[in-house]
Amino acid sequence: MIVRLATDAMRTRFEFALCGEHEAALRAAGEAALAEIEAAEQRLSAFMPGSLVSLINREAHARPISLDADTFDLLSLAERVWRITRGAFDITIGPLMRAWGFRDQPVDAAALARAEWGFSHVQLDPIARTIAFTRSGVSIDLGAIGKGHALDLAGRVLREAGVTRGLLHAGTSSVLALGTPIGEPGWRVAVAVGREGEASPVVTLSTGAALGVSAPRGRTTTHEGRVIGHILDPRTGTPTIAANTAAAIISCVPDAAAAADAWSTALLVLGEHPLEAPDELTSMLDDGPGRSPRWRRQANTLNATTPPFATAGAH
Amino acid sequence: MEMDRRTFLLSASGSLAAVAVLPELGFATPAPRLADPIELAVIGAGRHGRALLDELQKIEAFKIVAVCDTDPARLGGAQRRAAGAEGFATHKELLDKAKSVKAVIIATPTHLHKDIALDCISAGKHVFCEAPIAHTIEDAKAIAKAAAKASTLFQSGLYARSNPVYKLARSFFRSDSVRDLITLRAQNFKKQTWRYPGSEATKEKDANWRLDPAVSIGLAGELGTHQFDVFNYYLGKYPEAIWGTGSIRVLNDGREVADTIHCDVHYPDKAILTYAATLCNSYDGRYEVLYGSNAAIKLAWTHGWMFKESDAPTQGWEVYANRQQFHNDEGITLIADATKLASQGKLKDGVGLPYTPQYYALVDFAASIADSKPAASTADDGAKATIMGILANQAVVGKKDVRITEDLLKI
Repeated sequence: MIVRLATDAMRTRFEFALCGEHEAALRAAGEAALAEIEAAEQRLSAFMPGSLVSLINREAHARPISLDADTFDLLSLAERVWRITRGAFDITIGPLMRAWGFRDQPVDAAALARAEWGFSHVQLDPIARTIAFTRSGVSIDLGAIGKGHALDLAGRVLREAGVTRGLLHAGTSSVLALGTPIGEPGWRVAVAVGREGEASPVVTLSTGAALGVSAPRGRTTTHEGRVIGHILDPRTGTPTIAANTAAAIISCVPDAAAAADAWSTALLVLGEHPLEAPDELTSMLDDGPGRSPRWRRQANTLNATTPPFATAGAH
Repeated sequence: MEMDRRTFLLSASGSLAAVAVLPELGFATPAPRLADPIELAVIGAGRHGRALLDELQKIEAFKIVAVCDTDPARLGGAQRRAAGAEGFATHKELLDKAKSVKAVIIATPTHLHKDIALDCISAGKHVFCEAPIAHTIEDAKAIAKAAAKASTLFQSGLYARSNPVYKLARSFFRSDSVRDLITLRAQNFKKQTWRYPGSEATKEKDANWRLDPAVSIGLAGELGTHQFDVFNYYLGKYPEAIWGTGSIRVLNDGREVADTIHCDVHYPDKAILTYAATLCNSYDGRYEVLYGSNAAIKLAWTHGWMFKESDAPTQGWEVYANRQQFHNDEGITLIADATKLASQGKLKDGVGLPYTPQYYALVDFAASIADSKPAASTADDGAKATIMGILANQAVVGKKDVRITEDLLKI
């Protein structure tokens, strides 16, 4: 039996397909997991003035802010990816996102000129479990990893409730696998790279694996007559590369979905798989029409001929 | 930039607009800044307890030093949310060992509130107890009586009484903005099973106390208590009778507790509240409406609106108020601190509470402790609203009229 549940949160649609024998138990577990996602949104949304992230952005320059363990772990992951990628992934680019018009406002050249960002201004204290900013004007925006994090939390709730098989996704750009379908090596997911007439690559996600897909075309705005994708390069403060590229990460590390989200964004900015990335990551970088996607590691998980179970898009 | 009429009036006659909306200021209690935070324990770490922990994380006036739950997984989840908090399996162990605790929050299943509340009151703790405060009339009265005798604070978790939108709208209602009260309506619609997953430590039956007719007070008790209290709070009166009915419309999974209910609640002066709640549909969610001859006030947890009749007089503050269209009707947004929001350019469509209603109630709790002032919602308020919820559930289960005598509400 498959039970499907969904909720709208974090400006996207979260959906679960849960497998098991008892519908009532699956639905109860699924509702608990959806509630966890909604609670995560209340903590992490940069759009809600009462959220924990909004509190951090208002006050962390003046005093350390205590964090729950899940949020601290998420910020620690963001710090690790920022460090490994030498700044190609950075959750402090909120002012840049706003200035470039990706936060419900038009492009603001004056704001762009004065925008402050850089994770080097963020201090995480693992003993006190706090966050502080070393200067005012700094802020964090977890838009690039929040959905994956919410899926990780939902996956934990489902596992604790005894759900062993299921597929979870957020807006089709973040996907998390629980177990595998009966008799199958994993969940087959097509990565929609958006090329007409070409078959989408299909990946197989097995127990605990996550997929994150990023593409500039996921959200766009226009500036001086040209279309700008929402993936910014934190090292330069400018939108990244051509608008028809995509990057996907398959992650099998702890907090797999948040990691997949972070690394897929970083991969798009870097344009290549960083050598220092964890071994458990498989990457796919699509350079556009006429060129084959570039894969790295675990390419044997690919099967481009099998019909997909679900299709992953891009955020 | 073109200046719209609202901005122009705000700029040109700011003093007039400000005078008109001054009553809107101050409906949100400011969080107290204390040299020594209040050491707090949270008892009950289910979904609701964890939501309260998320809100407490933002309130500097509290320091969470202990959390308590009989289920190790839930306890672990609570400790992940409260840095450095000590974990306890029972409230007795907590009261015995965590001596520095000054205040407790009780967020356990409703039928477990009484023993915990009485023990905490007798241990000299300030208590915030979720509403409904009990599952029987006797327990509700026992808690209220103990709280009345105590020198410490007792706040019932009736969130409307701390909610700035509800407090602001009440000021309009009490100043006769709706004129003659005609009728009342409320609903609580959310598609969910009301079934919770069990764990190794917590059997499914215990996790699903809401579906156990032996202890559950159903939708009327668990949801209705909060909404009935809105009308108690606004009208300053309690009803005389409740008629109810309920059935299982969709969730036919062996449960006995109705998934859909209807109640007619009869207030003095012949005002009737029509109430419905369901677990089978989410349309329009939760709201309460008070209909008057000049206007209707609709309250929806984080938002509030006033819908005026065409022949109702215009008041000064309306000139710059934000409006939202609902099919053929235009609602004037009721939001606390509208002047401040307007000056910041944030008074836009759909504007509602910046924080959750739970946050404001917890801030009220901190402020009442810090300033030794009465609770925003007292044990007496909590007991009476709870008794209403219990009686409404009796009406639903028995599909009958229940008379509410003075004795039933007398604490």
